[in-house]
Amino acid sequence: MPREIVTGNHAAGLALSMAGEANRFARGTAAGIYPITPQTEIVERVAAFPFSKGRVVPVESEHSAMGVTIGASLSGARAFTASSSNGLAYMVENIMVAGFYRLPVVMVAVNRTLGPPWNIWADQGDTLMLRDFPWIQLYAQDNQQVADLTLLAFRLAEDPRVLLPVLVCMDAFIVSHTQMETELPTQEQVDRYLPPLDLPHRMRSDDPKTLGGLVWPDATVSLRKEIHEAFDRVPMVFEECRQEFRDVFGRSPAGAVEAYHTKNAETVLVATATIATTALEVVRSRRAAGERVGLLILRMLRPFPIDQLLEACASASRIGVLDRDYAAGIGGVWAHEIRAALQGTRDDLLVQGYLTGIGGGDVTAERIDEVLVDLGQRELPGPPVWVGLEDPAPVPAAPPPKAPLVPPVPSGVEATP
Amino acid sequence: MVEIRIHGRGGQGGVTLAKLIATARFLTGHSVQAFGLYAAERSGAPIQAFCRFSPEAITDRNLIYEPDHVVILDPTLVGPGVTRGLKPGGWILVNTELPAEAVAEQFPHNRVAVVDATAIALENRLGTRSVPIVNTALAGAVARILEIPLDDVLAGMEHLGFGGGNVTAARSAFQAVAIRDAISPDAEPESARPGPAGRGASFLEGAGGERPAIQTGSWATSQPKRQQYVPPCNHICPAGNDVQGFLHALARDEVDEALGILLRTTPFPSVCGRVCPAPCMQQCNRSELDEAVNVRQLERLAGDVGRVVLERPEARSQRVAVVGSGPGGLSAGYHLARFGYGVTVYEGAPEVGGLLRTGIPDFRLPGKVLDREIERITDLGVQVVTDHRVDRRGLMELARAYDAVLVATGLQQLRDLRLGVGGSDMALQGIDFLDQVKHDQARLDGETVVVVGGGNTAMDAARSALRVGASEVRVVYRRTRHEMPAIAEEIEEALEEGVILHELVQPVSLQAEAQADGDTGSHGLQCIRMRLGEPDASGRRRPVEVEGSDFSLPCTRIILALGQSPDLSVFPEGAEVREGGDLLGLLEHPVFAVGDLATNDGTVAGAIGSGRRAALHIHQTFTGEVVETGDQARVRSDVDLWNDEVIRADALRMHLFERSPGQEGSSLDPRERLDGFREIHTGLPDTSEARRCLSCGVCNECDICVTYCPEGVLKRVGHQLVFDYAYCKGCGICVTECPRNVVFMSHL
Amino acid sequence: MSTTELPVNGSAPRRDMPGEIPPLSCEPLLRPGNTNCGGCGMSIGLTWLGRALEDLEQKAHLAIPACCGAVTAGAFPTTSYAMPTVATTFAAAPAVASGLASIRDLNGSEEQVICWAGDGGTYDIGFATLSAAAERNENILYICYDNEIYGNTGGQRSSATPPGARTTTTPHGKSESKKDVMSIMAAHGIPYAATLSVGHPEDFRQKLHTALTTSGMRFLLMHSPCPTGWKSEPAESVQLVRLAVRSGLFPLFEVFGGQRYRINAEPDWADPTEYFRRQRRFRPEEVDLGTTRRWARERFQRLKVLAEAFPA
Repeated sequence: MPREIVTGNHAAGLALSMAGEANRFARGTAAGIYPITPQTEIVERVAAFPFSKGRVVPVESEHSAMGVTIGASLSGARAFTASSSNGLAYMVENIMVAGFYRLPVVMVAVNRTLGPPWNIWADQGDTLMLRDFPWIQLYAQDNQQVADLTLLAFRLAEDPRVLLPVLVCMDAFIVSHTQMETELPTQEQVDRYLPPLDLPHRMRSDDPKTLGGLVWPDATVSLRKEIHEAFDRVPMVFEECRQEFRDVFGRSPAGAVEAYHTKNAETVLVATATIATTALEVVRSRRAAGERVGLLILRMLRPFPIDQLLEACASASRIGVLDRDYAAGIGGVWAHEIRAALQGTRDDLLVQGYLTGIGGGDVTAERIDEVLVDLGQRELPGPPVWVGLEDPAPVPAAPPPKAPLVPPVPSGVEATP
Repeated sequence: MVEIRIHGRGGQGGVTLAKLIATARFLTGHSVQAFGLYAAERSGAPIQAFCRFSPEAITDRNLIYEPDHVVILDPTLVGPGVTRGLKPGGWILVNTELPAEAVAEQFPHNRVAVVDATAIALENRLGTRSVPIVNTALAGAVARILEIPLDDVLAGMEHLGFGGGNVTAARSAFQAVAIRDAISPDAEPESARPGPAGRGASFLEGAGGERPAIQTGSWATSQPKRQQYVPPCNHICPAGNDVQGFLHALARDEVDEALGILLRTTPFPSVCGRVCPAPCMQQCNRSELDEAVNVRQLERLAGDVGRVVLERPEARSQRVAVVGSGPGGLSAGYHLARFGYGVTVYEGAPEVGGLLRTGIPDFRLPGKVLDREIERITDLGVQVVTDHRVDRRGLMELARAYDAVLVATGLQQLRDLRLGVGGSDMALQGIDFLDQVKHDQARLDGETVVVVGGGNTAMDAARSALRVGASEVRVVYRRTRHEMPAIAEEIEEALEEGVILHELVQPVSLQAEAQADGDTGSHGLQCIRMRLGEPDASGRRRPVEVEGSDFSLPCTRIILALGQSPDLSVFPEGAEVREGGDLLGLLEHPVFAVGDLATNDGTVAGAIGSGRRAALHIHQTFTGEVVETGDQARVRSDVDLWNDEVIRADALRMHLFERSPGQEGSSLDPRERLDGFREIHTGLPDTSEARRCLSCGVCNECDICVTYCPEGVLKRVGHQLVFDYAYCKGCGICVTECPRNVVFMSHL
Repeated sequence: MSTTELPVNGSAPRRDMPGEIPPLSCEPLLRPGNTNCGGCGMSIGLTWLGRALEDLEQKAHLAIPACCGAVTAGAFPTTSYAMPTVATTFAAAPAVASGLASIRDLNGSEEQVICWAGDGGTYDIGFATLSAAAERNENILYICYDNEIYGNTGGQRSSATPPGARTTTTPHGKSESKKDVMSIMAAHGIPYAATLSVGHPEDFRQKLHTALTTSGMRFLLMHSPCPTGWKSEPAESVQLVRLAVRSGLFPLFEVFGGQRYRINAEPDWADPTEYFRRQRRFRPEEVDLGTTRRWARERFQRLKVLAEAFPA
């Protein structure tokens, strides 16, 4: 396995392309591609890849990029694309379609702040807005995880017990544009890991079914429940995919959840993506200082890994959740998810949300220390804490009462009551 | 709370009816709901709408499963499905023209009310005929049965902006509701609440792809059906030919089949294809579009080119004698032989064929063409005895020896014209002249000939005269060319060949010209000019002399072609000679008159038809079996409606036909024609002219209806049109696109 | 330039003579039991498309965006389409079809990939997608059944709605003109673009055959009567669109490679009054007949100039 210095985008582009190439003995591969900063390098690498049996379709919009991907997948190909931020927002309608049609497509998303105002730096708000769609969502911490989880995503998506699309996310620039040492796969390994795709419901001339015909409420319930049941099987299949990955590549890919020092921890920090890397350093130094602090790294948003979460928090009395995203009127999405997951099981746990690194700002060890200080002092959970923001904006005054609009009375005419 | 469920069709206004009822109640302080069940249904599909009203606040936001009352907007929806869950004793209000009792039979446990809201809607011009908007009328009817004051409903309508015909419709329906409210008491309420849903189909498994379960035929309020009319050509053909039928076969280039169709009614297609005046062409609806189909030439083509070997049928014991071998006699003999009867034809002349042989010149009907068609008759076993003139006594003998006798001696009495001094020397009967020409016994070298008459004999004589040397030939006729009974084409050809036509001229007398040498035989034919007066009994305008308009035409020869009449001397005194009548009941076996002798029709086709009818009649006399080979034989079992009326151009959709000029067929150049008696017409090169037939009122399997059926549920199987009524939505495009009025809409 | 003369009496060039439509060897593309309205032009178009595929022994995969045609399929798991079909999002049909066609071509399969879309999905929301697929010369057949209205949503204006037509969003008649989508599509230089009318079956069939035997992007614009939206009699559907051809409102023509033109039917310039009168979406006071006729003549003249200068 070659070890190279590459960007996260490079790793993603390579993994997507090699996965597609691996289907050359089946129906081949295709991708609809459209540029957007900071994911552009991914589609550039895909466009340059010498596919034996593949076509890259450079379309006019993200909506069509996913459209082409859907079409290719419906035709039985291994299909993928990549996007980011407002591109994802524009693509939303078709993202939903890929899920509802149970198409095993893979999309790499580079998490970038949604605009306006325009901001190209890291923020998970773009993919988190897709959390209610039938997509598995994975969040990578570094280039290696990007490469590994992207390959694993195809294996997971195409498993007949799953058949759901997978979104693999990474932080803008901090991963996408940062050169790091990465073990890159060989095509031979990828070929072994990803067997030819045989999509059970691909469009075939001998099977005149219509996908997307009208469904009555009862039939809709059935189809939705099928999706839910497929999600229920994901954790098990995901672990199988990791095992197979180890067998082929000789190393373990990142898990859906990783817990550090949580065994007897009183306080557990929850973090995702690159923030988790910094947080681990802080937790380790606190542990070294004898504090009962642990860290839980979440890499899977859908399905939400409730069991592992409970296990990691078994000894804890308080949890601090670090969110590099903001859901309007709520706060951090991850915090919200965790509160919901613990509801009724661990009502004793204090869960506090911290908004940090929003819009791509750095989340330094100092910031995480501030979080731990705040968390340690809390008796009760409060509203989300905007970490590092010292001066709250002034509260606008309530509008003065307005007189009702009365038509002017023409002069010389006396108004009657 | 009162709950009403409304069943209608998309486009009828069911949801608005719910809103009308709800508004009437809303205005009197009720809490109300009005809503539809929206899905993929389209115009015409069964739909449901719902209305709730209550003095209390309504909290139920679901569909109505167990309604208090049901309103049915379309009578074709009446059935068990629409009353599902209906509470016993509740009203069923139906828009129908049927009486309440008829509807009530199906619903013993409910009160039933009916009103013809469709009629009321149409009276008030609400909606279209195919989709009348019946909701406002039914709102009035609902007011009546639910005892809501009509004024409340009208106030509701005003509130919603409905006025005019809608108000009148509601009032009319309120008055017109008929009620049957006697109900049998012992009904249990039926539970119709929805149960748990089973697991539905997944598209990951093999499920899916089957045909939809909806039978859209239930949307239809009318259905297309196939009808047939009588085309004018078939109706008018004196021979009774299935003109449309043989043209249809030719249009498909099935020449043998076309001949077969003709041979059902006529043994003489090649003859008629040359000499028939073709009344079918005068009646042809295509002349409204461009010009008539050239049926005559197409019949000739079928007769000349088609090959059909007629089977000799099993012989029957009866024998029939036919007197006269003209077209009538031979036609009768032919048809009798095809039934298997033994037939002997007696002909006074040395040759077979009667007038066909002697009276029609070779340039129109070559002898070998006639020979071939006669051979087809004799091949069937018909015996012909020539040089055997039958007189009154002979007829009696035949009536003894044969099981039946047909007399078909035609028109042998020639009309004469008294022309005064010397006329008898110079005057010649046209028929005799033509016979002489046939036998090469007439020369008129250098003569100046006047032919008197306007029929085909006149034309044939005039044209023959030119061919036997006449230097000048004039035809005088007392009416105009338009009234001449001769075939128009023949007149045209005669003129092309140099015959001079004098219209509106009546010969008066023949006078010797005061010539110097006195013995050249040159005379002047004194004539007077005519004008057309009032129509006579035949409908033609009577010619009236123009006083003082006398003039003289020089001539050396006069040929009279004034028509013929029957010679009845063969019959016993006082016999009434008419077609179909058994003339001589006193004789041992029946004797019938056939052809021109009986009908005085004067055409070959008429004689053929008469002969066929006589043969059928005799067959019926012998066997009691009624057989029809002509028009009536075309009544088909695969036609839903048989119209025995003749279809005229105004009943066709002429705009759907392309114009294309008719084909004349080729003929010799006029200069070449006069050199002898070669046939001047050489016929049509192919069958393409037959494709111009509009096939009026008869399906010719053009498949336009099949092409246009939007649903693909109209198919042709063999010769049948098959409408799949389970799915036909009744759009009617097959009707509007059928150019020949074969498909029609039948209201359910 | 070759054109077919329309007879003066206005009949379309059509088969009014005996002939036989051979029975299909398989199910019709549009199955009985579909929920289209009676007299729907789309139904005719689908039926004829099925026959053309049968003529050429081809199969097809359909991509249908939101439109009546998607609803036509009926309730899952049954379907009114006898060939595999995917309902796409409103704007996505040409993109999805591009994906289908790409994989089809990679695998050397023979089936046609056909987009079957209404005018809303074509002229309006899907236009960018369509234009992009045309620019990439994707190997797909795109058929727009243009009923000049958003029929599926109950009759709102689209940019295909003709001037003067009442819709629920133009309650006093549309004041803008109809988008000339054919000119725009031709300007992409695609291999084949043509107009179709269900009033002209033979012309329709020939163009389907041309389209089905051409590769690359093919665009067919079909004038599709909609009795519900046009407020016309279902039985008159075919007559109406034929009148539109006769009176020059909907010219029948083909454009090859965006460069070469062929006019298929010469209008006889029949008075379009009848066309408007038979549809209650038009009110006499809201239709400017003079402008309409002038517009139609000028456009046809332009086509004629092109067809003469650059004949197919």
